[in-house]
Amino acid sequence: MRRLVLLGLALVFMFLVPSEGAGATIRVVATIPDLADMARHIGGDLLDVKSLATGVEDIHAVPMKPSFVPLLNRADVVLLLGLEAEHAFLPALLEVARNPKIQPNAPGYIDCSVYITPLDVPTRIDRALGDQHPMGNPHYNLDPVHGKDMARAIADGLARNYPEYAATFQKNLAAYLATLDAAIARWQREAAPLRGVKFVSYHPDMIYFAERFGMEAVGTIEIRAGIDPTPSHIVELEEMMRSKGVKLVVRELVYPANLAQTIAQRTGAQLVELPYMVGGVPEAKDYLSFINYNVQTMLKAAAMIKDAQN
Amino acid sequence: MRNTAQALVVATVCLFSSHVFAQGAPGPSRPAAVSPQELQRDLETMKKQLEEMQQKIRKQEEMIKQLSTQPAPPPPVAKPSPEVEEQIRQKVREDIMREIQPSLSAATRTFPSLFNPSIGLVIDTVGSYMRDGGNFEFRSAELGLSATVDPFARAYAFINGTQDSVQVEEAAIVTTSLPYNLTVKGGRFFADFGRLAHFHDHELPFVNRPIVLDQYVGGESQADGVEVSWLAPTSQYINLTAGTYNKMGAENERVSNSVPRTLPQFTYLGKAATFFNLGDAHSIDVGATVAYTPQVAIESGAQRQLWGVDLTYRYLPPGEASYRGLTWGTEVLYNTERRPFNTVIQDVDTGELISETTLKRRNAFGLYSYIEPRLSRRFSAGFEFEWVEALDPGVVTTTAFSPYITLWASEFQRIRLQYSNIAQPGGHDNAGFIQWTVILGSHVHGFRDR
Repeated sequence: MRRLVLLGLALVFMFLVPSEGAGATIRVVATIPDLADMARHIGGDLLDVKSLATGVEDIHAVPMKPSFVPLLNRADVVLLLGLEAEHAFLPALLEVARNPKIQPNAPGYIDCSVYITPLDVPTRIDRALGDQHPMGNPHYNLDPVHGKDMARAIADGLARNYPEYAATFQKNLAAYLATLDAAIARWQREAAPLRGVKFVSYHPDMIYFAERFGMEAVGTIEIRAGIDPTPSHIVELEEMMRSKGVKLVVRELVYPANLAQTIAQRTGAQLVELPYMVGGVPEAKDYLSFINYNVQTMLKAAAMIKDAQN
Repeated sequence: MRNTAQALVVATVCLFSSHVFAQGAPGPSRPAAVSPQELQRDLETMKKQLEEMQQKIRKQEEMIKQLSTQPAPPPPVAKPSPEVEEQIRQKVREDIMREIQPSLSAATRTFPSLFNPSIGLVIDTVGSYMRDGGNFEFRSAELGLSATVDPFARAYAFINGTQDSVQVEEAAIVTTSLPYNLTVKGGRFFADFGRLAHFHDHELPFVNRPIVLDQYVGGESQADGVEVSWLAPTSQYINLTAGTYNKMGAENERVSNSVPRTLPQFTYLGKAATFFNLGDAHSIDVGATVAYTPQVAIESGAQRQLWGVDLTYRYLPPGEASYRGLTWGTEVLYNTERRPFNTVIQDVDTGELISETTLKRRNAFGLYSYIEPRLSRRFSAGFEFEWVEALDPGVVTTTAFSPYITLWASEFQRIRLQYSNIAQPGGHDNAGFIQWTVILGSHVHGFRDR
């Protein structure tokens, strides 16, 4: 009995003793790994960065785990993609996190969409049009040029909270942007064969990528954002693909595989499976390798389409 | 350029003079057959050509003049200093903002209702058929309002209209900036008892509230009072709640909400909840709650304790969580209180049978358990089992099982079909249900409604 009591007490102490971040500097919680990776580049050793999502999740349905609450409770700043991308989990978690520093409009609430000009801003707000994002499409992290805006928002947000480190953040930001600029120039050269390639995706989340590399998003497997397809929609989509000569189907890895495969088979299109966050596939270890993976995967598919046509 | 123009002028004059000379002094080689009319025509043509050439020369002279008077290219501008550059940037920014400010101001003025609370309406309707017949039940139209009050509090309210009445289900104020990880909630709200007791009817994973919650808690855990919760400042999620209420349970008829009471007649609640990640895909929520009423008003001095343990296991593969997964939820409740018990005794003097109500301690257990696999983004199926001892002594136990399927047309519309087989004190019954629920307007995914 005595041993049991001792074991119980040991367990209680194990939970009660703050086990991490005791001597850490600035505690940053990012909603997605893309932002966490950029923050690590910008803040370096000054930051202790954690990400809520691992990268394989659907950002619109990240499971709301209670284990996220202590992370947010002790965070100094939170980094979010914004444009309501995290509507399914972040507002409710912030409500129970009991941390005034990171509530919306507090300095520690760093919305990384502040420098983004969003695409797909609805002209009419109506749930008949699906799960709308009233402020625009939030999947801008797939465009590396917007990646620069994200990095800038992180650096500015951190500097707002910690002006004493502003010079360090700006210096690291400049170095990161130089690396990103070089990569963007290379991707833009390499991605020339993607120009004009038409595709359908499962969810309307590839538009920023398409816009950057001159591709043409002509439809989605979902009827509307967040609304699963009906059989009649699939028939119409396949007819449209045939009539417009669409030879590429993109399945973002968070959506079911079977339907995308079937559509690709029936229309003779190439199926491409892409992550839409860092960590979505093992190769996408950081933001640069994530974008590189998407560009190279698309290029391989475009080459296969060309080979098939010749 | 100037030399070229001069050469052109000289060449033209020479050509013209030689042409005129040739005309004025006909040579021996000139054919005699040329008529004066032809000569006249040639002369006209040449005059025209001359005029055209003169015009060209004038244009070229002008061009030469222009080129010769152009200023020398400006010397390269020195790069401004960082301060000047910043000033220029600042000025450009200010100019742009000045330009677009009218549009921004207009946009702000367009939404004077921005301070209004978020508003949502849930319509929940159920059709049922059982032994006694069928019924379409308009179960609720629940209006939800929520907003921040000021930097220190937020508030929310749920006003529920049913087929019989309209009532305030919840109207509560919640602090947002207390120190030490504390939150205080006051007003009318669903007390933090167990897991599903504080869910609104339409948020339940099946059509009907579990029998054990209906009987032991008294429907939803509605309570008028105050609740304090504390989040442990540790890496492990531990949340403790303490509350005091007039009573707990929307349909708890033991006491009235409107009658003043002494301290022992309030209900006191304590709850501990934690959570364990078992890898990326598996997790367990565990909670334990006790609601203690030292002196239940209707029963002279008798105390009541209601204990609950809840356990929820979830399998949510992270990459497929929106279309695959499984939830297994179980709650066990234990109620102990002195309940009225009717006994029939025989009067020793008269031999007459007399019915007498006495208070008798009764300990009762009850539970529900359900398992719900998610089959796709649209479909989930489930099975619920219930076993509930009656609160009153001498009444038989109720058992029930209910398979059900849920179809999500979208995040905001749901249709559910359920069959229930219930063996209860009144007899055995089979029931079929169809539930149709929609959400209009604002809809927030609450942490407690997971």
